[in-house]
Parts: sequence; structure tokens; C-alpha cells
Amino acid sequence: MTWRYRFVFLGFIFLFFLVVSRLFYWQVVKAQELSLLGQEQYGVTTTLTPQRGEIKTSDGFPLAANKISYQVFANPKEITNKDSVSTILASTLQLDIASVSASLSLDRFWVPIKSGVDLKTKQQLEQMNLPGIGFDNQYQRFYPEASMAAQLLGFVGKDSSGNDKGYFGLEGYYDRLLAGKEGQAIEVHDAFGRPILAEMNDSSGETDGANLILSIDRSIQFLVEQKLKDGVELYGATSGMVGIMDPKTGAILAMAVYPNFDPRNYQDYSDDLYKNPFISDLYEPGSTFKPLVMSGAMDAKLVKPDTKCNICAGPVSVGGYQLETWDNKYFKDTTMVDVIQHSDNTGMIFVAEKLGLDGMINYLGKFGIGDTTGIDLQGEVSAVLKPKAEWYAVDLATTGFGQGISVTPIELLDATAAIANDGVRMEPQVVAAVEDADGNMTKIQPKVLDTPINAETAKVMTEIMVNAVDKGEASWARLKGYRIAGKTGTASIPVSGHYDPNQTIASFVGFAPSDNPKFVMLVILNRPTVSIYGSETAAPIFFDIAQSLLRYYGIPPTGD
Amino acid sequence: MQKTVLVIGILILIVFGLSIIRIYISNQVATSGVALGQIQQQADAYKIENIQLAENLYTKSSLTNIAEEAAKEGYVEQKTDFVLNGQVPVAYKQ
Repeated sequence: MTWRYRFVFLGFIFLFFLVVSRLFYWQVVKAQELSLLGQEQYGVTTTLTPQRGEIKTSDGFPLAANKISYQVFANPKEITNKDSVSTILASTLQLDIASVSASLSLDRFWVPIKSGVDLKTKQQLEQMNLPGIGFDNQYQRFYPEASMAAQLLGFVGKDSSGNDKGYFGLEGYYDRLLAGKEGQAIEVHDAFGRPILAEMNDSSGETDGANLILSIDRSIQFLVEQKLKDGVELYGATSGMVGIMDPKTGAILAMAVYPNFDPRNYQDYSDDLYKNPFISDLYEPGSTFKPLVMSGAMDAKLVKPDTKCNICAGPVSVGGYQLETWDNKYFKDTTMVDVIQHSDNTGMIFVAEKLGLDGMINYLGKFGIGDTTGIDLQGEVSAVLKPKAEWYAVDLATTGFGQGISVTPIELLDATAAIANDGVRMEPQVVAAVEDADGNMTKIQPKVLDTPINAETAKVMTEIMVNAVDKGEASWARLKGYRIAGKTGTASIPVSGHYDPNQTIASFVGFAPSDNPKFVMLVILNRPTVSIYGSETAAPIFFDIAQSLLRYYGIPPTGD
Repeated sequence: MQKTVLVIGILILIVFGLSIIRIYISNQVATSGVALGQIQQQADAYKIENIQLAENLYTKSSLTNIAEEAAKEGYVEQKTDFVLNGQVPVAYKQ
């Protein structure tokens, strides 16, 4: 072959290579871009925003639903009399006339004017037939029960991209499930912009958010919120909270906090109100902690109900500190039943010392103290128990009566529920079932966390707590005819290395009916001023709510 | 020869026939986009109306609203118990 043939042959190969390279560039490298360009020319791609899932109470009524609102937009190029339109829009939409006027003077085809406009205002604007003004549908959170269970629900705000995002409570914890999945739709148009049938008409990927069905009973939640508000105002407390749980399943029946906020206008309230203190605030539980320590010692067979305390005749010195009872009354040779009845601190020091440090740490761990309960709400915290080496003798003693240790209200409620449930501790759950966009329901099964004490110990402890209600310092408020197990608590508030003598956290924890508990409830009042004692503030609220609940469940009295 | 002409004629008729059918169907399909758009608009309107009605229903049937309405009618919880000691009936006095 001569060089000329080779030259021509190589020339063809080179040209062929160029053609193949160019084809590769258009067909592979630029394929997606060209495809999109083509679609844009004869179709419109729109993002399909899924509807956020609803949050419903156990009766199927939505606490958080969605409502239609509208975004008003304008095409400044179609508006001739901009001053007049600006004035009308500003007065109808209650906007600043300067900002509307600035928007309409932009050299654009589409400018947003206002979001979240209601139907009435939209219809008002439509009747005016303003040129270049249009409306887009939007979904907005809507709360039929207003601020009911606000801290439990959380709220929907915006993320850094301007998309809806749930914060706090259920909205935060289940955000991905509630939000659903965005999709895209392509609508093919003809030359006049009318939709035509074609294979390109397609929507893909959009999935509406799942609905959450809660274990919250709407009637109980409403009742509890009313009673709590009245109680906080009556006793001059700064705030208060109530949690009610089914001890057998861990289902949360109500969780109320006062003061609360309006989730629609969350930005108008202090950030401090957003978090749910029932799961996010740590406090020293005081005497409401005593049944846990006592039941631990009884379960370990270290004390019996009739065991006599041989150090209870007066104040007890531990590690250089003198520890006293709350009322400076002392009962020599008092029994364990009376220790709980009198809320005797020296008696609990006796029990704590019997239990020992290892036993204390072991039983607290089994009751879930020092760990999160796993409740399905965003923002749960816990104070980790100190390592064994850091415990002093006085720490063991004060832990016996609930001081020098921090818990969240949900930790205490869940631990007390274990006594009510034959010693079995359940995981607290707010969501009972999840309903997907197709209506398929997935029930969430109750979960056993631990068995801190045996059933026999739980029964004995229950009787001791019933005795405390019937004969203790809160007996004046008790419900006659019902057997209710409970314990008062008056916890001091640590301030700058010492306890504030005038301010307390007053509480009452208990369950009813004691023989077959339908609910376990914890009532907490923060800094009550009318009285600092739980027996005179939290206890009456507890029994007031308990009375309504027993009626609601149709449980008759069993005698005095 | 006649057979061949007949076959060609039939083929031409089939081609024409199919072409006419195609034109007819194309016309039908091309205009159905408008109807489709109208149906879509109607469906959207019903969907929106449904959401608005649900909103009204939820607002009216909420416990918060019922309690407010009840309070306006005077159905409020009695905060303090009191007893009215009426006068002893005349019959007893005598």
C-alpha cells in the first residue's frame, strides 16, 4: 500500500473518530440536559408538594391537619396601573404599600406578593379582577383544637431552603414520615398552551405524608389542660405539667403543660415554651422517688413492710452532714409502711444504707433512672448516673429520699408505672399507629423495657402507697370510695450550691384503681406560692383529675 | 392480470381507509386535551372544597369550640359549692 492510500485511510478513520466523539458528546454527555431542554419546549415540569400527614388523637380527630391557603403572585409586565394595584393589594393583604410597589416595579414575569392568604381574602381579590394577579394553592398546618397539646405536637417551621420542617415534639420526631416525598409532573402543552394527551404526561415519585394515630385521648387531654391551668392559677405556680399513662402498655393518654403556646403563631412566643418540659427538664424528684428506692430494697429482701428503722429517732449524720425530716418530726422504730406514710427522710436513709451503693445503682438502672425512656418525642434528655467511684456516703443517703439526683418527669412516671404494672416497665409511646397515604394502618406494639421488681413486691409496694394516700399528709384530698396508690413530693430547688428554702417543685405521683390500674399520673407544679407542699397543691389537682378519669372510665367506687 | 389489479385496488382502499381512520382518531384525541384539562380542574376544585369543608367540620366539632359555645350558653363548671338555705315553708311554721 502506498503512503497516499494510508494517508486517505487514516484521514477517514480520523473523521470517523470525530463524528463518533461528537455523537458521544451529544448522546451521552449532554443527553440529560438536551432531554430537559426538549421537555421544557413542549411541556411544563412542576414539583408536586405532598400533603403533610395529619396527627390524630385516639378517636381519629386531627390535632394537626392541613388547610388550603393561597400565595398571591403578580406578573408586573401585565400591570399597567401599578400605583393603583399596589394600593389595593397593600390594603387588602395588609401589607406595606412600599414593599408591594417595589415588587411590582421589578422587571420579571412572576413575583410573589404574600403567602398564607385565606379563601375569603382570595375571593375578595378575585372579584376585583386585577390584571396580572394570580393565585397558587398552598397547604398550611391547621390546628382544630388550637393550642391543645402544643408541646407534645411541636410545630412546622421552615428549613434553610424554605421548605416545611417539623420542630420539637411529634412534628420533629416523625418529620420524615409526616413530610412525605416530593414528586415531579410533566404536562405536555400544544402551541396554544392547552394540555394534550401524550406519553409525556406523567407524574412520579410523589407520596403524601403518613398520618399518626396517637394514644392520646382527646377528652382526657382537654380535661387535664383545663384542670392544670386552673391549678397553676389557683396555687400561684410559675408553671405546671401533667402526664398520664396506661401502665400496662406504656401508652401516653395525656400530656399537658401550662403555659403553652399556639403552634400556628409559634414565632410570637418565647423559645422556652417550645420544648416539652415533661421530657426535657431535669428536676430533683424529692419524696415521689421514695417508692422506687423502697421497692428496690424490698425486692432485694433487705427490708419488709414491718421492718423497724433503728436510726429514725432523730436527725441522722452522714458524711459530716446532718439530715433531717421535712417536718422535724421523728418516729422511733417506725416501720417501712409508716416511713412512706410520713414521708420520713431518716427512714429512707435507713433503706438506702440497707440497699447499699451497688444495690441502689442496680435498681435505679432497672427503673430506667439515668437513661432516656425512648419515648417517641423529639427532645428527651436524661441525667446519667454518676460513676460508682464518685458517690459519697451522703449521696447514697439523699438519693434515698429523692434529693441530689435529677430525673425527667417522664422517667419518674415510667418508673412508677412499673410498680402499677406488676413490676414490668413499659416503653412510653405517644403514637399508637401509623396510617400511610394508601390508608394502610401499621400498629405500634407495646414494648417491655425491663422488670425492675417482681410482681409480689409490686403488690406490697402498691398497698404501702395506698396506705400513704389514705393516712398520709395528702389524705384530706383523697377520693373516698376508691383505692388509689400515690405519693406526694416536695422537692427543694438547688440554687448556687444550696437549696432555696422558699421555692419548691410540688408533685404527686400515683395510680388508680390500685388493684387494676387504669392510669398512672404525675402532677408537677413549679414554685407554687400559696403553699410550698405537694400535699397541699399537686395532690388536690391529682385527685380532681383522678375523679374525672374514674368517672370517664365508668369505674364505680369500691367502698370507703 | 385482473387479479393483480384487484389486489392492488384493495390495498389502495385499505391504505386510504386506514388513513381516514387515523385522521379521525387523531382529531378525536387531539381535542380531548381540553376536556382532560376541564376534568382536571373540576377534580382539583372538588379536592379543595373537600379540604375546606373538612376544615370547617373540624373547627366546629373541636372540644375547644364546643366548650366555648357551651360557656356562652352558661354551661360552666361550678368552681365552688354553695347551698341556698331557703325559708322554711309556711306549712312547717304553723
